[in-house]
Amino acid sequence: MGTVITIDIYTADGDASPVLMRALGTAQAILQRADAVFSTWNYDSPVSRLRRGEIASGQAPPEVADVIAGCAAARAASDGWFDPWAMPGGFDPTGYVKGWAAQRAARALRVPGARGAIVNAAGDIASFGALGPCAPFRIGIADPFARTQLAAVVCLAGAIATSGSYERGPHLIDPHTGQPTARAASASVTGPDLGLADALATALAVAGAPGLALIEPLDGYEALIIGHDRQHRATAGFPFAPPENE
Amino acid sequence: MKRTPIVVTATVAGLAGVLAFHTSPPEVNLTPSPGTTGQQADQSSPTAGRPAASPSRGPTSTSRPSPTPTSSSSRAASGNDGTRTIDGPAVNYSYGVLSVSVTLSGNKIVKVGIASLNDDGSFRSEMIDQQAIPILEQEAVQAQSANIQGVSGASYTSAGFKTSLQAALRSAGFS
Repeated sequence: MGTVITIDIYTADGDASPVLMRALGTAQAILQRADAVFSTWNYDSPVSRLRRGEIASGQAPPEVADVIAGCAAARAASDGWFDPWAMPGGFDPTGYVKGWAAQRAARALRVPGARGAIVNAAGDIASFGALGPCAPFRIGIADPFARTQLAAVVCLAGAIATSGSYERGPHLIDPHTGQPTARAASASVTGPDLGLADALATALAVAGAPGLALIEPLDGYEALIIGHDRQHRATAGFPFAPPENE
Repeated sequence: MKRTPIVVTATVAGLAGVLAFHTSPPEVNLTPSPGTTGQQADQSSPTAGRPAASPSRGPTSTSRPSPTPTSSSSRAASGNDGTRTIDGPAVNYSYGVLSVSVTLSGNKIVKVGIASLNDDGSFRSEMIDQQAIPILEQEAVQAQSANIQGVSGASYTSAGFKTSLQAALRSAGFS
């Protein structure tokens, strides 16, 4: 995937117990396996072979069926704005797989001793737990117009994915036209599942502010769009962090 | 044959795994301390338009100086400038064994590095040293100064890292 992934585990006493180190190894293995199966950069990966028609989906590893099902659900939820079947070169689940894999890696970290964990796959984040009672994780959202600045801070309960024209450039394809199109500078989606949040963020980066109407009815999911006009538009329940006491 | 993305992912995840056992709640100093080097408190640190503030979380802020990465097998050393350097435990990664060192001033990460690396001199390790460490260090420092535990949205460092890494590997014959 060419993705830099960082994993932070929060514990009561800061000790790296054998249980935690094993869980970390499992999480790493999950990420490596996902890359081996789904990487479209790898000519021989099952998904590359699927795209070339060399194998049918029934001959691919079982995770592929899970991802196909997840992509179908995301396509439905995004009203077709996320459509991995409409990508150049054939079915391309890349916009879903990164989040899907990071979410599974996070799940593997739920072991005794871990009060919380954050799996950050190049800005798509899966998490569980918190810093402490009444102390949720705080995640900054990068400002697409000033990349060392933060546009907003959110209180994270679960996952957040951000997609933007600055990140992927020509990879944001409008499924309706087949053209690279980004109607938002940046779109962030929060919710329980990072795979779906990842796909929805991609969809919103293509669709722009009108896409917010797709997110409002989705239970547990919220979104923020930063337009090319630098305006912020968000769903009603988007979890902005309250301003800090100075 | 582009196998390198797998290497990067696994290696950096291993690196971060060694780094990142935080106490809960984390005991980090959020205001820049004078005399620490380089990367925090300069104009490239991310801010939300407000000066970095130290919020109170809960009845009292605990001040037990606990190193952010810690394990029962790490070594600690003190520097002349009041900093402490802790070496994490050795971790197997795809091409060998590495351990990470973290330098703290008070409770603040000021530097991250490779303490030891044994991989029979593979080219990929130089990449790790030269590319991944500065990125993780910068992100660790920036995250502290803004009281956040991560950033969503590809940072310029991720994109730059991928680009420069791919270009370097291409020029070295890994395509």
